[in-house]
Amino acid sequence: MTRSGHGGTALLLGAPALALMMAILILPILAAVILSFTDYSLGASDIRWVGFENYAKIFGNSTYEKMLIATGTYVAVVVPASIGLGLGAALLIQSVTRGAAFYKSVYFLPVMATLLAMTIVWQMMLHPTIGVVNRSLLAVCGVLPDGACPAEMPLWLGDRNYAIWVTCFIGVWQGFGFNMVLYLAGLSGVSRELYGAAEIDGARSAWERFRLVTWPALRPTTVFVLITTSVRAFQTFDTVEVLFSPGGGPSKSVYLMMFAIYEKGIVQNLVGIGAAITVLFLMSVMALTVLQRRIAERKAY
Amino acid sequence: MFAALKHIVLLLGGFVVLAPFAVMLSYSLKSPAEIERGTGGFFGAQAPMVDEMCVARSQPDRAALDAARAASPDLTDDAILSRLDTDRREACSMRPVVFNYTKAFTEAPLMRYLLNGLIVTLSIFVIQVVVALPAAYALAKLRFWGRDAAFALVLFCLLIPVNAVALPLYLGLAKLGLTNSYAALVIPWTISAFGIFLMRQFFMGVPDDLVDAARMDGMGEFAIVWRVMLPTAIPALIAFAIFSITAHWNDYFWPRIVITGDRDLFTPPLGLREFQAGADGSLYGPMMATATIIVIPLIAAFLLAQRKFIEGIALSGMK
Repeated sequence: MTRSGHGGTALLLGAPALALMMAILILPILAAVILSFTDYSLGASDIRWVGFENYAKIFGNSTYEKMLIATGTYVAVVVPASIGLGLGAALLIQSVTRGAAFYKSVYFLPVMATLLAMTIVWQMMLHPTIGVVNRSLLAVCGVLPDGACPAEMPLWLGDRNYAIWVTCFIGVWQGFGFNMVLYLAGLSGVSRELYGAAEIDGARSAWERFRLVTWPALRPTTVFVLITTSVRAFQTFDTVEVLFSPGGGPSKSVYLMMFAIYEKGIVQNLVGIGAAITVLFLMSVMALTVLQRRIAERKAY
Repeated sequence: MFAALKHIVLLLGGFVVLAPFAVMLSYSLKSPAEIERGTGGFFGAQAPMVDEMCVARSQPDRAALDAARAASPDLTDDAILSRLDTDRREACSMRPVVFNYTKAFTEAPLMRYLLNGLIVTLSIFVIQVVVALPAAYALAKLRFWGRDAAFALVLFCLLIPVNAVALPLYLGLAKLGLTNSYAALVIPWTISAFGIFLMRQFFMGVPDDLVDAARMDGMGEFAIVWRVMLPTAIPALIAFAIFSITAHWNDYFWPRIVITGDRDLFTPPLGLREFQAGADGSLYGPMMATATIIVIPLIAAFLLAQRKFIEGIALSGMK
């Protein structure tokens, strides 16, 4: 560096970014925090301070309890499943001699595709009577002995026992290809010599080699994948809006937070509640991200 | 033996992954009856079908009737009417694939939606770059008081998904009277902390000598950003473009919130959603044709430039 004082220039270059960060990210957070303590609604002339009433509602009302359970379930299922499948696909693809490029592009297609459109397709496929899924199941059941299949095919989206799992499935279907690509990049960075060294040290089985060499070497990738996948899972909206709008599914079993913010805060104009959910949402996402980063830093070597 | 097992697993996975794409494409080719009954195989029989709405729309007027009477005076009125009717049905009959794909464009202003998608997606990307690149340069190559704090702010903003603050952003835009405008679709995405971060990491690797040499040549800092730094950042820029364009072409949440009712501003996903909401069973085919048209540009781009896409995604993960 030649000069040490670039204050003026830096300010000029960075000013638009700084101003926009403030206006679009920081200020809205403050606004959400403040609004969450009020009963504000868009177009209303007065605004009342209600203290923690909105938060009390979220933790005391069964609707919001269902929202928290649905969101927790969704994240807890989709994150490990799409990471596991992403890693599994990457390991398999890396180990085959032929067709690797083909599998890679196939698994990546859902990541590029418009989720909204694909959700509508899944909805048609899962239609209880004319959907491809139940039709295929019926065809398979036709050749199986009696009693091997239930008398009635599942309703899928209309059944509270299936709705959330189907939504999780679509989430995994859509996202694991992204993780696969990151893991493939990670795998290409693991040095061949490490495997040789591990073998000399007695790591004979494929599992031992994975546990002792591959998995530790993939740690940075895993942390990154974990963070992006969790943040995305939290933000799931399109599937719920298409499949379960309005209301959030049979007995609100798929009432995910992002959808709740939209329905309460914007559609029903209950800004106070919507803002309180927003604050909880932000706290969860940020806490999770920071936590995962901390873990990564502590165990890094 | 073991390798065969691997391929079986991978193929089964591929089958599940591709199933909805196959269904979408297949339905976009078939007639309503074939979709309903599950017949016709992948491509459908492509037997000509009559578009009842087209028939209803083209009822003959008095002039056409008179002309027909004059042309064949020996026929009764009933015979003429029935012949006209047959002609009309014939004129309105077409193959299902033609029906579906024309309906996709005539039933809703799909062309307009696609154009809107293009305008919004490109505006967002260009503005993001114009905002992020100078900031990234300042963070990577300039020394100034508060640089660490500024970078910490970027890292903090990296934690905030824009969708999470959708409610206050929406209220702000509504207060400014900006909902139902292109501005509402673009403004929230003009700042990308991820973009700044990615570019900054990339610029850190560019030798200082390059910048110093440019300064010796008498270049100003703005010129350095656009004429020296930008060309070095092309790989990072491509990676960022892939993220940005994919995310915003496919985005449904934000348009859903800020565009209420004004069809002229619908983006492709919003248009498809409205199509679905208004569709009775007979329009499944056109709806799937619409879905196919919306999904295809990115899929095609991906298949044509796979290496770039995958490298781009991987690059962002490395940093």
